[in-house]
Parts: sequence; C-alpha cells; structure tokens
Amino acid sequence: MSSLDPDFETSAEIGARPAEISRLRRVFNTLATFTRRSPLSFFWGVIAVAILFMAIAAPLVAPHDPLKANFRLMSKPPNELAYFGTDQIGRDTLSRVIHGSRASLTVAIAAVLLGTTFGAFWGLASGYLGGRFDIISQRIIEFLQSFPDLILAMAIAMALGAGTDTVIIAIAVTRIPFGGRVIRAVVMSLKEQAYVEAARSIGASKLRIMMRHILPQCVAPYLILATTHLGVAIIIEASLGFLGVGIPPPTPTWGNMLADALNSGLIPPWWLVLFPGIAITITVLAFNLLGDGIRDALDPRLRGSV
Amino acid sequence: MYTYILRRLAFGAITIFGVSVIVFLVMRIMPGDPLAAIFGPEGFTKLSEVDRAHFMKELGLSDPLIVQYFKWIGQIASGEFGKSFFRDESVADMILRRGPLTAEIGIVSVVLSWVVGIPVAIVSAMRPNSIADNVSRFMSILCLAIPGFWLGMLIVLACLFWFGYRAPLVSVSLFEDPWTNFQVIIGPAIVLGLGQAAYIARMARSSLLEVIREDYVRTARAKGVNGRFVVIRHALPNAMLPVITLSGILLGFVLAGSIPVERAFGTPGLGYAMFTAVNERDIFVMQNLVFVYSVVFVALNITVDIIVAWLDPRIRYQ
Repeated sequence: MSSLDPDFETSAEIGARPAEISRLRRVFNTLATFTRRSPLSFFWGVIAVAILFMAIAAPLVAPHDPLKANFRLMSKPPNELAYFGTDQIGRDTLSRVIHGSRASLTVAIAAVLLGTTFGAFWGLASGYLGGRFDIISQRIIEFLQSFPDLILAMAIAMALGAGTDTVIIAIAVTRIPFGGRVIRAVVMSLKEQAYVEAARSIGASKLRIMMRHILPQCVAPYLILATTHLGVAIIIEASLGFLGVGIPPPTPTWGNMLADALNSGLIPPWWLVLFPGIAITITVLAFNLLGDGIRDALDPRLRGSV
Repeated sequence: MYTYILRRLAFGAITIFGVSVIVFLVMRIMPGDPLAAIFGPEGFTKLSEVDRAHFMKELGLSDPLIVQYFKWIGQIASGEFGKSFFRDESVADMILRRGPLTAEIGIVSVVLSWVVGIPVAIVSAMRPNSIADNVSRFMSILCLAIPGFWLGMLIVLACLFWFGYRAPLVSVSLFEDPWTNFQVIIGPAIVLGLGQAAYIARMARSSLLEVIREDYVRTARAKGVNGRFVVIRHALPNAMLPVITLSGILLGFVLAGSIPVERAFGTPGLGYAMFTAVNERDIFVMQNLVFVYSVVFVALNITVDIIVAWLDPRIRYQ
C-alpha cells in the first residue's frame, strides 16, 4: 500500500541523501526566483549559457574546419555551402565565428577571474590591515586607474608579445583596480560589525578573521563584479585582436577576423564584417544583461528598485 | 576653492609621476631582447653581435634602468618626447600634427552624446517604465554592447554600398578647409558619441529620478508649475552634476576608444598613430604616446573635478 503512495519514493530518496537533494532543491529554487523576478535576464542568461556551450563544443557545432582553406570557394558571399560566406582563401566564416567564441570567452573569463580575484584579495588585505599598506595600495590602484583600460591593455600586450596568455594578463591587469576598490569598501564597512569585533575579542588571528569571517561576505559583490565586467573584457579582447595585439592568426578570434576583413583590400566584403561583429554584440549583450540580473538578485540594496 | 584646486593639482602631479613609472616599467618588461621586438625575430637573428651592441647603445637601452628613466623624463621635460624608430619624426611633431584631429573627434563626440543622451533621459524619467522608457533603456544597453570599431566599419561599408561615398582621409585642419575636416571627423565622432550617449542617458535617467523625489520638486509641483517645466528648470540642473563627472571620465575613455575607431575609418589622427606604433612594435613612440594619453586622462579628470566643485559648493567645503 505504501508503494502506491506517490511520495514514497521521493521520501526514501531524501532519507538516502538528504544533503544532496536539499542542495539541488535550493539551487532550483534560487533559479526559479531569479526567473520570476527578471524573466528578461533569465532569457539572456540562457543565451549566454548557449554561447558558452557553443564555445566548448565548437568542433562539433562548426560545419567546417575553421583553418582549412578551400581554393574553389574563395571570397564567396553567403550561399548554401557556406551560410556566412567565405574569406579570401576560402575559409568558412560561420565555422570561424563559432571557433572565435572560444578565444573570446576563454580570454574574457580567465582575465576577469584572474584580475578580479587578485584585486579582491588585495582589497581585502588593504581594507582590513589598513595603515601604511593601505595607503600605498590605494596609490598604486589609483595609478593603475589613470590609464584608459584599452591603452594599458595594448601596452602590456605589446610588451609581452602576442599570445593567448599575454592577452589574458593584459586584460586582467586592467580589472585589478575595480576588484580592489569595491572589495576594500565592503571590507571597510564589515570591519566595524559586531561579529568581527567578537571574533577579534576572543583572540582570532587577523588571517583567520579575514578568511573565515570577512571573505564569505565578499562573495556576492565579487560575483556581481565579475559578471558585470565580462562584457567589457570581451570588447577589450576584440579591440586588441582588431588592433593586431590580440591572439595572433591563424587562430580565429572575432577581433582578428574583423582586422583580416579590413586588411583584405580597399573594400572589405560585407559578410566578413557583419557576422563577427554580430557575434560580439550578442555575446556582450547576453553577459551584460545576465550580469544586471545577477546584481539585482544578489544585492539586497538594489533589489526591486529598478 | 583655491585650496581645493591646489590640492587636486598636487594629487594630479603625484599620479602623473606614478603613471610615468608604470609606463616605463611596462615598456621594459619585454621578455627577451627589445631589439627582437623592433626588428622582428628574423631581422634579429641577422644582426651581428657588434650591430646589436651598437643599436642598444644608440637607443640608450644599455644604460641602467634608473638612468634610462631619468633620460626619458628629461626628454619629456624638453618637450621632445623621443623619436620614432622607423620614421624621422619626433613624437612631439606627431602629436602636434595628428593630435588636433583626435581632439576634435573627442569634443564633437561629447557634444553629440549630450545632445542625444539628455533628451532621451528626460523622456525616460518623465514617465518611468513607459514604452518610451523601456525602448530607450534597451537601446542604451544595446549601444553599450556594440563595439565602436565594428559600427565604424559598417558605416563606412554602408556609405560605399548605398551612396558610393567615402569620406576623404586627409589630415586638414579645421581652419584651412572646414568642410573636408568635417567629413573626416564626423564618422568617428558619431560612433564614439553614440557609445557615450548610452552611458549619459542611463546616468541622467537615474539621477533625474532621484532628484524628482526631492522635496523642492514636490513643492514646485504643488505650487502649480507644469510638469515639463519642473523637470527641465528645477530638477535637471541638480541632476546634471553626476552626468558632468561621468562625461569627463568618458572623454578619457573616448581617447582610448578612438584608437580602434580611427583604425576602422582610416582617420589620420593620433589614435591611428598609436595603432601603427603598436603594430610596428615601436616601443619609444608607444611609451611616449601611452604617457601622453594618460596625462590627458588625468588632466581631464582634474578639470572635471574642479568644474563640479565650482558648480556644487557641498563638495568644495568638505
């Protein structure tokens, strides 16, 4: 009789692995709330995830090899063999755009994580320790912020030479001040909270307080910061590629595809210009709107205001 | 007010010193030989040991870093800014010849961003969450996602395609030939202006919405002043302060943004010179241009701070 009970199986499962189920349910609930609150962000979030999967599975999704020249199909406008047309040496633009997402997303995600994380720990230390270390850190961060992002990234990328890792470092450096500033401000306000005072008074070490008591509170601002900066990072990566200091050819990136199009002759073929740019725009739009949604969901002060 | 200005200038001087150190260090962290960067890997292997030593000495790269740094500062102080490795032109000449074009593009783009952004923000803020508001918000989010250089390429292509028109690509000053000059700068200015307009519209909208909630605006309404007049005469002036600050910061980013945009249009401005320097790996030009751009950026920020302090007594009496 109990086997007819529809809840029987689930309750048995809950009994088996309670922690896992409740965690799954919590994730699901968070997602559901997020969707209800901002359906638009959810929609763009789905697109962002789709672009991520496209980047990961690029060789499976792309119809052709992005590097293979086909001399029978050179500089052809979009047709049924190549939906986005082909470039001067007959490489398939659609496949190159799909593979380009790999370079753009790898660089943007790695750079933002690297730069924001470094900046966040720096901000945590300088905010909590204060004193001379804080003053010097603030000055250095101010110096770094005195460069327009793109110019600093260009200079570093040029100095380090072409390559994926150097582009990541170049963009990451421009993200450090933001992480440093925001997290420092958060830490400064947390420092005076009663629970931190309590931890200090029972003799917890500085390192322990920073890592166990303050760091967890910085996760939400960190996530907001990281997601809102992804879009900027993608645009900087594309600009570097366009200016010839990004990931070097033949690896296709959206930026160096546009540069190739411009270098191909007096009048660049329209399909070589249009499609990589649309890819950049949609990706940046998706990540920006997802970032806005995450910010609204995680930041209680902004929740419901806009 | 004067103490505020002096303090701001002193901080600016410290910042510029820090910037010069960072620029110098970045340009010297090149892995391997700077000559390899200048001559390219193939050219580098063809150089003999004697040649290498000769070039290193001639370029002043064999001195200790501190000496190199102070030599460079000396060059800047004398107003020379070093020389291009590939062309017989000093960076100072390059700035004088190409700078005005980029400055014009920057100024026109700021004017355009205000002309477009502020009215959009007013329409949005008068009826929040209306259709007009939502459309303009989506447009501004879209404008933030479109890379300026790509929009530039599309504009060039579209003009060629539909009108058979291509903007002249000559470096003429505004006073010699205003019409040609206008055609050269208008494309990049529109592209850069649209990008800024999106930020301006967003900032002005939220700032206006905040000011509209203030008591004095309610008082004006209660007094019977009509709605549009309240927003434009009473709320707008106070809502402008954050917008002015933002606009100054954006002008700095326009300097950077103009590099790929000038490349897309082929405009012979300073941004294009930067593009050339990066591609030729001309470290001396790059070092000086990056420094000049950052100094302009810092100077703009200070100017904006002073303007805002002058407009808003609350800031200068802090």
